[in-house]
Amino acid sequence: MAPARRWRYGIGVLLLGLSLALAADSEEKAEALTVLSWGGAYERAQREAWFEPFTAETGIPVEVARYDGGLDGLRRAVASGEVPWDVIDMTRSDAMAACEEGLLEPLSPTLLAPAPDGTPPERDFLPDSIGRCAVTHTLFATVIAYRRDAFPGQRPTAIADLFDQQRFPGPRALQRTPAVNLEWALRSYRVPREELYGLLSTRRGLSLALDRLEQLDTIRWWEGGEQPVEWLLDGEVVMASGYNGRFFDAMIHRNAPIEILWDGQVQEHETWVIPRGSPQPESARELVRFTTSTERLAELARRIPYGPARRSATRRVTDHPETGQDMRLHLPTHPLNADGAIVKDEAWYARTLERIDDYFRDWLAAHVDE
Amino acid sequence: METHPASQATARGPMGVMRFLALVLLGALIGAVAAALATGFVNAVLWLNEALLVSPRSRMMFDRPDMLLIATVAVPALGGLMVGLLHRAIAERRAHTPADVIAAVQTRQGRLPARAGALSALSALVSLGAGASVGQYGPLVHLGATIGSLGARLLRLGRSEDNITIACGVAAAIATAFNAPLAGIVFAHEVVLRHYALRAFAPIAAAAIVGYVIATSVLERGALFHVADTAVPQPWEFALFLAIGGLGALVAGAYMRATLGVARLAAHLPLAPALRPAAAGALLGATALWVPDILGIGQETLRFATIAGAYDSGELVVVLVLKIAATALCLGMGFSGGVFSPALVIGTLFGALCGSLVGELGALSTDTFIYYAVCGMVAVTAPVIGAPLTSLLIVFELTGSYALTTAALASVTLASPIAAQLFGRSLFDIQLQARGLDLSAGRGRAVLQSMPVGEHLSRDGVTLAPSVTVDRAVAELGRAGHGEAYLVDASGRYRGCVTLADLEGARASQDAPASVGELATVERPVLHPSTSLWAAMTTLETVTGEALPVVDEADDETFLGVVYETSIARAYLAHSDELRQEEHGTG
Repeated sequence: MAPARRWRYGIGVLLLGLSLALAADSEEKAEALTVLSWGGAYERAQREAWFEPFTAETGIPVEVARYDGGLDGLRRAVASGEVPWDVIDMTRSDAMAACEEGLLEPLSPTLLAPAPDGTPPERDFLPDSIGRCAVTHTLFATVIAYRRDAFPGQRPTAIADLFDQQRFPGPRALQRTPAVNLEWALRSYRVPREELYGLLSTRRGLSLALDRLEQLDTIRWWEGGEQPVEWLLDGEVVMASGYNGRFFDAMIHRNAPIEILWDGQVQEHETWVIPRGSPQPESARELVRFTTSTERLAELARRIPYGPARRSATRRVTDHPETGQDMRLHLPTHPLNADGAIVKDEAWYARTLERIDDYFRDWLAAHVDE
Repeated sequence: METHPASQATARGPMGVMRFLALVLLGALIGAVAAALATGFVNAVLWLNEALLVSPRSRMMFDRPDMLLIATVAVPALGGLMVGLLHRAIAERRAHTPADVIAAVQTRQGRLPARAGALSALSALVSLGAGASVGQYGPLVHLGATIGSLGARLLRLGRSEDNITIACGVAAAIATAFNAPLAGIVFAHEVVLRHYALRAFAPIAAAAIVGYVIATSVLERGALFHVADTAVPQPWEFALFLAIGGLGALVAGAYMRATLGVARLAAHLPLAPALRPAAAGALLGATALWVPDILGIGQETLRFATIAGAYDSGELVVVLVLKIAATALCLGMGFSGGVFSPALVIGTLFGALCGSLVGELGALSTDTFIYYAVCGMVAVTAPVIGAPLTSLLIVFELTGSYALTTAALASVTLASPIAAQLFGRSLFDIQLQARGLDLSAGRGRAVLQSMPVGEHLSRDGVTLAPSVTVDRAVAELGRAGHGEAYLVDASGRYRGCVTLADLEGARASQDAPASVGELATVERPVLHPSTSLWAAMTTLETVTGEALPVVDEADDETFLGVVYETSIARAYLAHSDELRQEEHGTG
């Protein structure tokens, strides 16, 4: 595989040189694309798997700016008419809101490349990955992790075990938000995944879910993503919710004695969007097409455990380039892990978050004394 | 007259096999069309419920409490208005339901009208979309049956084939809607055909399988209920399941009586029929402001009822009673829709109530709560649709749990016979009986009940004016070779009949009457052209004579002709033979 790729890059560079030579007069040097992304290990993986090969193939350099989520910066930039970014790595819920507000360029589905075996993108991508203004490249998950040494002789296998303190005693850490916690609480009553948001839309469903949370005798509430990992490592809690990438990192690089419970994982989509008024929309589209190809998505997933949005890419993921870890087992989208996945109803949250938040805060204030 | 289908049915040899295979293929084709329509229908209802603020999800996402209040009342009311107007375009001024399908098959009429079927499906879509408390499976069954009948008519097949293709459409609709092919096949036999013929089985099975395949590849929905793997009820709990069955029959009876009662009351309301659904919708919406659980198909309510602790006993009683009232109101006042989905909700609420009460006595762990909910569900639905086996199979195919199916079996064992004794075989049968079709004595009688004697009317009986002399009358009868004459006056009115024996007796006696009019006996009962063969046969039991006179219904005296006893007997034998061929022929 590696030699073949190098060979292809060789051709790419050659073609590039040729075209540069031909276009030498009209254009001097391709202008850099500015990508807004999340920094850290994630950005490092993106550079290796996506941006450097992109530059090698097209000659267009990529600069990465740091993004902290939200839409305020984008709103200001679009209003002022000076948008400094060409492509933004955005959560799908933000992308849906930004699209409705008209902050984004629409993306044509024909932009996307077919799978290597010719499967058209609309069948290769996971459901709901291709939106009007956004295309999902990877999926990450909020999951439960537990200490391997906490429950001798048995291990949690279903999300209901989070609430079963008789079989799995010990304190829990959960995120201080209604999202994810309410879904898990209802799943513990064996509510089918498709009906979660219908039931959570009723007083009765909400109070059933909160009753379940109330039955846990110790909950530590976390807000920053690193907190649950630390608490697990310190042994302050035996089960904690958190992002699968963080838990993976602790398991691989810090040798933490923890395990991920994939049942009930709540997946979220990370998408590419092109802001309205992007300085180089043509090259931006080229970057989106390049990075969402089967091969590039698989390469990213070898470096960081985020599931590729393409089925064909998930099948091609292999070992971590440095540690040799089989990465497939760590991907939220891998068939072994994806069985019990909950699809977050982002449209529902977009409309109800404020009210649900209030309801949750009132409950916290009334029932949890910390 | 049509070609005699029974004779085709018995064709053996290679041609027979080819015909039979073609029928199976037709069944699969009808299954595909019915399943596609059923899928579209279900999705359209879901979409409407979201768009019209009926589903809890859409209500939660709509952040205008004042507008929501208005919509809750206005949507069912306006939906009702549309339904009322749609029904004006149907001859019977009401939606067609599975009862019409059963009647068509049991009386071998077949030929379900396509236009009324389409309008009924549309009005059901509006009813369900606007949140009326009615079911969606009834409309799906009728839609499937209409497609089947249409297929048979397009290919100019006989009545027996028409019955089979109707059953194919029904099976496919149930298989698609429940994701349960076996239940679809059994429902078509148990509720619609009411006999088992090998000839019908294969096409119906083909239709159900196609429906199931389409359902699993297109419709992705959660199972109706889930079961804990480990929970197995204690042996003594089966006694409770039996008892739930017995009590469930009474709940089913209350539900059926309420539905029929509202329909009777509605007929006396000083309100145009087209406006009745709108009034019911407004009342439903207003009630839903307090208890939103009764709105719509009730999927969320059904789910909550299977969760121990979601409702307390008091709430269960309130929701149970209100759901029965809401459904009776909607169906009785003329909304279009089924009785099955509400029965599922009512039954599950009832079962949950039993489970909670047992739990409050301290005897129950919450692990087996679902058993009580499902037993209640089966105990109420099986009597309402008259299908104990189908109800059991639905439980089995949806849960894959043998333990749960066995518990449901215990419950249905008492529920179905008790309800059948007290109320009738099913709500459909009770409705048909009210329309004059009694299916309780089987199909042979139903066929005869649906056949008018008018078809066998004969004009070669001897008719005489009442003023004719006795001698002349005897001569006339002798010439025609008959033993009876019918007296008809100058304006065509029937004036009684005379027998040859009477005439001869009168001639021999001392004071012979001047005209036959004085001899005429009016004791002999008369028939109308629309009188059924069955009623004619019953009448014959009390009469000795060769024929019965037939008079016009309008004035009860205009003479139309006679029906000979022998024609009635011949028709009876012919219909019995057709039924025997259809039900016992191997094809």
